[in-house]
Amino acid sequence: MPHPVTAARGYRAPWLFASASLLTSLAVNAQQPAAPPAAAPTPPPPPAWQQGKGADMADSKLAPHAGKNTETPASEIPIEKLKVPKGFKVEIWSTGTPGGRAMARGDKGKIYVGTRGIGRVYEITDKGSERESRVVVDKLVQPAGVAFQDGALYVMAINKVLRFDGIEDNAGVEPVDLTDKFNLPPQQHHNWKYITFGPDKKLYVPFGAPCNICEPPEEYAQIRRYNPDGSGMEVIVRGVRNSLGFDWHPKTGEFWFVDQGRDWLGDKGPQEELNRLTKPGKEFFGYPWCHAEGIADPEIKKADPCKGVTRPVALLGPHASALGTRFYTGSMFPADYKNSLFIARKGSWNRNQKFGYDVVNVRIGADGKTAKVTPFLTGFLDEKANAFWGRPAYVLPMPDGAMLVSDEQLGAIYRVSYAGPAKKKS
Amino acid sequence: MKASGRRAWLAALLLLAGPALGQQPVPYDERLKSCAACHGADGNSQTAGVPSIAGQPKVFLENHLVLTREGMRGSAVMQEQVRGLSDKEIIAISAHFTALPARSMPGKSDQGLVERGRQLAGKLRCGICHLQDFRGQQQVPGLAGQREEYLVSTMIAFRDNPPPGVDTQMSAALYGVSDADINAMAHFLSRFRAAAK
Repeated sequence: MPHPVTAARGYRAPWLFASASLLTSLAVNAQQPAAPPAAAPTPPPPPAWQQGKGADMADSKLAPHAGKNTETPASEIPIEKLKVPKGFKVEIWSTGTPGGRAMARGDKGKIYVGTRGIGRVYEITDKGSERESRVVVDKLVQPAGVAFQDGALYVMAINKVLRFDGIEDNAGVEPVDLTDKFNLPPQQHHNWKYITFGPDKKLYVPFGAPCNICEPPEEYAQIRRYNPDGSGMEVIVRGVRNSLGFDWHPKTGEFWFVDQGRDWLGDKGPQEELNRLTKPGKEFFGYPWCHAEGIADPEIKKADPCKGVTRPVALLGPHASALGTRFYTGSMFPADYKNSLFIARKGSWNRNQKFGYDVVNVRIGADGKTAKVTPFLTGFLDEKANAFWGRPAYVLPMPDGAMLVSDEQLGAIYRVSYAGPAKKKS
Repeated sequence: MKASGRRAWLAALLLLAGPALGQQPVPYDERLKSCAACHGADGNSQTAGVPSIAGQPKVFLENHLVLTREGMRGSAVMQEQVRGLSDKEIIAISAHFTALPARSMPGKSDQGLVERGRQLAGKLRCGICHLQDFRGQQQVPGLAGQREEYLVSTMIAFRDNPPPGVDTQMSAALYGVSDADINAMAHFLSRFRAAAK
């Protein structure tokens, strides 16, 4: 069984210099748990989220926030605190799906929702005045990835790929296990997924760097695409730390993706990135040497670290946890929202003053190359108290033009709609 | 650890022969009695191998109970106990035990061992997540006054054989720590009194 510490295997991280001796002592520990190490113990590698933490931050109390694994009833959700631009409305659409984050819509309208720690995938059925949910599959290792194509639900956990054929009509369908076809690498950190099918009907899958900052092995820090059955794998993006949101520009067809910046370089950044891919498989986006607007990494160094690196189109803020990324093509919102981008920022943990906890709208310039970021759905964060109550993780534009927003913290989904400018009479 | 595990099993079997066997949903009071049978009426365990749960952070208790119910964490005994619990029941049970005061119930202290444990816990920076008085916070359990043998077996399990569903942070934190050092830290922590809330 792989020990979590073997995350160190085969790549160079600042905290690891003698991987061979480390692995040897690990093996001894695994076989003889009762035997104390013979030599002085090697300093323990820090947990993945602490890697790269500088000596000046040794006493920092910053750590990832606790998730919530229990159901939150609608009566305990302070929806009145949420703010949207004039003419828009936000309401609670469904509750009772703890940990729910990425959403995929079935051909017949059912919504499938992935999770991380709680190990479940939910199915939500819209009954008109209310929503019903059930657990499709559970006990998986962070099944965050859900996608739907040709009547089938695809679920991707860190170590498993399942396909549920015809699930909208046949709730009890046994999944087809596609795991072997996808050749998933073993490391868990940053390898929970966001998955979606592209206009080419291929499945797009990210493989994050298994650390905060390190030179990752060949199979990580990239985005790949596969045929739906797991064949025909191609790496289309390289040099990304952890991309968990992407979509295709409705006009240009280009692939746009977010990438989360590294931790422990302070409250200023490096900021998270919004990137545009123009030459699939041929571009490099900088990780681990070059971040954001061209910041050389202070720990993982090389000459000319930013040379040949494709720079981001826009910066999305420091430690903001940019996740769900979708272009809006509906007709309900005002016309200037057409073909704009919505990005959910789940919110920071590695920052003393919390940041993000909102959904932003990104307007793309006429040339399709520049972007302007504006807050759209806010109110999850109380900046004065430096406290949050909800964490918007993913967005899902619906056929009627409204948009669903998942709140991973409260296991709820909100619906944002546009009612037009306020009428003078009422 | 082995013997205490056996005792825990016996306790569970006794419980299973009681109300948990019925098909009817178990009333909340009965559930609390089940908890109390092993974890102590006031949440401070007097049963070897069974942790004290009084005063533990609510989020930690909730998360642990949910993941145990889902079959992703916890012992077989506990999985059986929490089977079919609703989220509402889990929240209520967690709130109940969070509100109870933790009592340290140590046996004789070895001052040398206490001091060594104190130094090790400082060196390993346990207090960053578990807080300086080891009372825990949010998803991070309290350690102050916890049963010594439970701390030992849990730390060894984190170090050597973390089960799926368990956060890997503790495994990394305990990497390369010897059994002797774990014993010293458990001795120190089990005798530590957190400041009153």
